[in-house]
Amino acid sequence: MRVLIAEDETLIRLDLKGMLERAGLEVCAEARDGVEAVELAGSESPDIAVLDVKMPRLDGIEAARRILDQRPIPIVIVSAFTERSLVRRAADAGVYGYLAKPFREEDLMPAIATAGARFAQLSAVREQADSLAEALAARKAIERAKGLLMENQRLSEQDAFVRLRRASQTSGRPMRVIAEAIIETLS
Amino acid sequence: MKILIAEDETLIRLDLRAILQRHGFTVCAEARDGVEAIELARSTEPDAALLDVRMPNLDGIEAARRIYAERPLPIVMLTAFRDRATVDKAVAAGVFGYLLKPFREGDVAPALYAAVARHGELLAARRRLGTEQPKRIDLDLPSPSGHAWPVRIERAEDGSLDVRVVQQ
Repeated sequence: MRVLIAEDETLIRLDLKGMLERAGLEVCAEARDGVEAVELAGSESPDIAVLDVKMPRLDGIEAARRILDQRPIPIVIVSAFTERSLVRRAADAGVYGYLAKPFREEDLMPAIATAGARFAQLSAVREQADSLAEALAARKAIERAKGLLMENQRLSEQDAFVRLRRASQTSGRPMRVIAEAIIETLS
Repeated sequence: MKILIAEDETLIRLDLRAILQRHGFTVCAEARDGVEAIELARSTEPDAALLDVRMPNLDGIEAARRIYAERPLPIVMLTAFRDRATVDKAVAAGVFGYLLKPFREGDVAPALYAAVARHGELLAARRRLGTEQPKRIDLDLPSPSGHAWPVRIERAEDGSLDVRVVQQ
């Protein structure tokens, strides 16, 4: 698993990197502030990010929000500051974990493990929901197109469906695209 | 926010309760073992749960799994076990956080806030799927006219939905 870390203090950054590597993770990018973190998240495509909060130019929570806008990944915040307003901002931004600094080496791995697993679970459910929504939208379009073909071309339902399917196969386009084109043309 | 805590050691339990109350949470139930945790999760309907792993009668990870199966809610483990196998078992049971004992006060509230927020997203996504609690049923949708429909939606073994186009 490739990790992006963002921490402005060099010693802590090296320390964090050492901990992650000892745990068998690859640190693929090291940012010294929030702006760098956002850029490196874009260019290095890490699997997970560990971000400090107080950093120059852009704080870790705003960086987390921007990273998640680009491409969702699990994010764990590490910070010496744990006041409620900050924690809630981080939770609202979409982070999976929030560890108080200084933390022990062994605190980090369970946080990363739970973050990674729950993120993967959410991604899978969202993907299923998207494909289900897509399938239902396709179904609706195809029903409509079939109805239009039956009406305009005086086809039986079976024949209308065969036409649609053949058009899809010969054009190499999904049935939904064909159906939408027919709706556009005939309605 | 209502929190259930499960911890067999009285002193730690009192400590946890005080910490949670200081951070604005309501402790709605205090369990001394895993079986009590399940019963209290049922009767008090907490918004989140904080469970120890090693407890009498039923361990915290198995309690977490059963609590979650009855009614999904974000669960954070709190334990002295730091070995990978225990962490993995907890992760597989669906927990959203895992804090090590001796725990630091500063970690407790952040873990709960993050867990509640992310679990809310998971529930919302499941609601979109129309399956807040996965059931094993076949969803082979016929078209309204009764003709076979080329897109088949099937329920996989793990309760997830598998959508594919059927080639005839």
